[in-house]
Amino acid sequence: MLTPLQISSYLAFAIFVVVVVWKFVKYATMPIHLRWELYPVPHEPEHEHGGSFFEHQNIWQLERKHDKLNELKEMFEEMLFIKRMFQNKRDLWYVSWPFHAGVYLILVWLALLFIRAVLVIAGIHSLVPIADALIMIAGAIGVIAATFGCLGLLIKRVGSWELREYSAGVEIFNLFFVLAVLLTGLFAWIKFDPNFNIAKEYMLSLVSFGSQPMPELPKPILVHLILLELLFIYIPFTKIAHYVGKYYTFHTVLWEDAINKPGSEVERKVKRCLQFRVSWSAPHIAGRTWAEEAANPKLDVIERWKP
Amino acid sequence: MSEEVRIKDIGKPSKQLIKLRLEDLMKLPPPYDKPGEEPEMTEPKEEWRERYITELDGYIAIDVPFEKPKTKEEEQRLIQRFLEGLKKLLDKENNWTFLQPLLLSLEFCAKCQTCNDACPIYLSSGKKEIYRPTYRSEVLRRIWKRYLTPAGKVFGKFVSGDIELNWYTIARLAELAYRCTLCRRCTQVCPIGVDNGLIAHEIRKLFSQEMGVAPKALHELGTVQHLRVGSSTALTPEGFKDIIEFIEDDIKERTGKNIKIPVDEKGADILLIHNAGEYLSWPENPAAFAIIFEEAGISWTLSSELVGYDAVNYGVWYDDVQLARIAMKHVEVARKLDVNRIVVGECGHAHKALCVVADRVLADEYNIPRESCMPILWDIVRKKKLNLDPEKNNFPVTLHDPCNMVRLMGVVEPQRKILREICPQFREMEPHGVYNYCCGGGSGFAIMQSMNFPEWRNKVATRMKFKQILTAFQDCIDPSIKKYVCAPCSNCKGAIRDMLDHYQATMKCGIYYGGLVELIVNAMVDIEEPFIEMF
Repeated sequence: MLTPLQISSYLAFAIFVVVVVWKFVKYATMPIHLRWELYPVPHEPEHEHGGSFFEHQNIWQLERKHDKLNELKEMFEEMLFIKRMFQNKRDLWYVSWPFHAGVYLILVWLALLFIRAVLVIAGIHSLVPIADALIMIAGAIGVIAATFGCLGLLIKRVGSWELREYSAGVEIFNLFFVLAVLLTGLFAWIKFDPNFNIAKEYMLSLVSFGSQPMPELPKPILVHLILLELLFIYIPFTKIAHYVGKYYTFHTVLWEDAINKPGSEVERKVKRCLQFRVSWSAPHIAGRTWAEEAANPKLDVIERWKP
Repeated sequence: MSEEVRIKDIGKPSKQLIKLRLEDLMKLPPPYDKPGEEPEMTEPKEEWRERYITELDGYIAIDVPFEKPKTKEEEQRLIQRFLEGLKKLLDKENNWTFLQPLLLSLEFCAKCQTCNDACPIYLSSGKKEIYRPTYRSEVLRRIWKRYLTPAGKVFGKFVSGDIELNWYTIARLAELAYRCTLCRRCTQVCPIGVDNGLIAHEIRKLFSQEMGVAPKALHELGTVQHLRVGSSTALTPEGFKDIIEFIEDDIKERTGKNIKIPVDEKGADILLIHNAGEYLSWPENPAAFAIIFEEAGISWTLSSELVGYDAVNYGVWYDDVQLARIAMKHVEVARKLDVNRIVVGECGHAHKALCVVADRVLADEYNIPRESCMPILWDIVRKKKLNLDPEKNNFPVTLHDPCNMVRLMGVVEPQRKILREICPQFREMEPHGVYNYCCGGGSGFAIMQSMNFPEWRNKVATRMKFKQILTAFQDCIDPSIKKYVCAPCSNCKGAIRDMLDHYQATMKCGIYYGGLVELIVNAMVDIEEPFIEMF
């Protein structure tokens, strides 16, 4: 029999997944945009000097080669180490990187808890001690690094004029919220669950859909768990979910350099967009489709907005 | 006038948000490190204040009247019109061209300010708050959140931050969109890939496409004149043919070569399109192309058809509809001439507009390959199709990388390979290549000459490039040593010309400028007189 707490855990996770997927879908289904890449583009074979296929003649006949390995390297350097911030904003990186690395480790910790529960249910007990060790390492380092980083980010955000001035109230609140989850987690770990046994048992009860008993949760752990669930629900609706944006900015804008060749998929998408109607109000635009506007310019009126 | 400008101050009723002072600007290297070496800054004229927007920093980019509303109702109408435009920027049909990049940049900026020190304008100004690359973006973001998102409507400034939408906000934002050269160095360093340059571009579009408000040099005298008359320089097809004759005579006089420049030759391999500004301001550039292409045996032609002899496309800076129209005309001309490909001459923004950005407004028979001139020139030099003597270019040379051709298109090496081959004293600026600094004339600034805007451009926008040039030549800064800044882009050349003039750098430091092909022709063994004249 599932308890309300367990049901809320499923719900929080489900909402998180659904909204994140919805966000990905929202961006994935937007129309193709004009090319707007920015060099260096890491999959270009001449990425070392920031070169592109435009450094060659007869580009349509050129056999395009993509250095996928370098693209992956660039992607992981940015994801795992926030390379651009390291190179250009070191003082903030000292707190931002521990925070992000800590969060990654906490996610790894959650995944390990899940795997461990699966191993237990499947009766593969020989691998459980390995999972236990990894859970200990990921959880301990993760929560310490993330808490340190979050605290540092909050101090920076509030203490530095250039960060505070540009932040809305909600952006400060987000950091407080995450910090609250981390501090309650840190306290719960040190004081009540140093080996993450309660966490393991709770995950086991979730993975087994209640057939394994739910452990007794001391009040601080309960508070932490509820806050964590609320954070999971909250994240996808906020800028904390900037990982969605980061994927698209790099992969569909800055590194997206597919040529519009006749008969290509790109051309097919472009043709569809050219049939969209333009309803801009300036006098040089006549309210026709993009294709018509481009082919037959309206130039006989030059008027500007007047009060 | 407050020096500590806050974001909400954009809507503050005041005469001028900031005032630039010479002593606040970024310091320059010798000989400009001493007081009195550069002209003082001026005040805007009082009569300008009545018609134009001087409420930002006193400088005027938008040289069309933008009158203040006289009543609250008029102001409300302006606000509504602005918000209508903003909605269209976020609409699939009206702005499919940039919807995804724009929304990503509005939604996900972490306000970490990592981008700040990448911006040459912010640094050159002495870090004036309004020029911080995130400033204008944050203003637009707050308006979007506050007025157009459910969260902003419900939670107000808790989610949007403090912003008031009034005439001051709108007018200053319009001007502020023209304090960024769209060089996108800020985007290069952003950990999330947020594009503040794009946001400036989109604000320009909102004003142009919704309200018909854009600098005259870009719209009325730019794209509109281009489509009507044939060129943004007002050069007509007849005028173009006259100039070609003049260039042929000039080639004969300067080099002794009898060159017939091919015009409207059907079936050629290449349609070469120059920025028409070259014909009027630097005819030696198209002349040098003609000499090189003819000597190398290239199958090429120019076009004398309307729009076909001017590669510029100012639409790329402020208006997607105009961008599409001009790109269509370019390919239409190529199609009629039945060429295999269009090749763009030494013009950075024309490279990006025609080869990159407009790639996705063309379809079917209008989809024709478009390429840079740089790989062809390198191929000619590499294969020794010309007899070149580098000793003829034995003077200090540095290379300016046009942002549009380099950072935004990835054409980096061909031009420097040529220079390494033919210029013994070639030296790089720092930083260079895809990490270069804009010349300060980018995004239309080079051709915007109204009222006091050139002063802002020379003092702030080009300052970083001037510093780079001076630094590259510090070992030979004496004016008796003639030095050459190679800028393979018409607009960059225009900005550098004005910069050298403003700082009197040719007289004080012996710095000259020009394109790449001029250096190639200057190195040709069979041309006796120097093709490049530095005096």
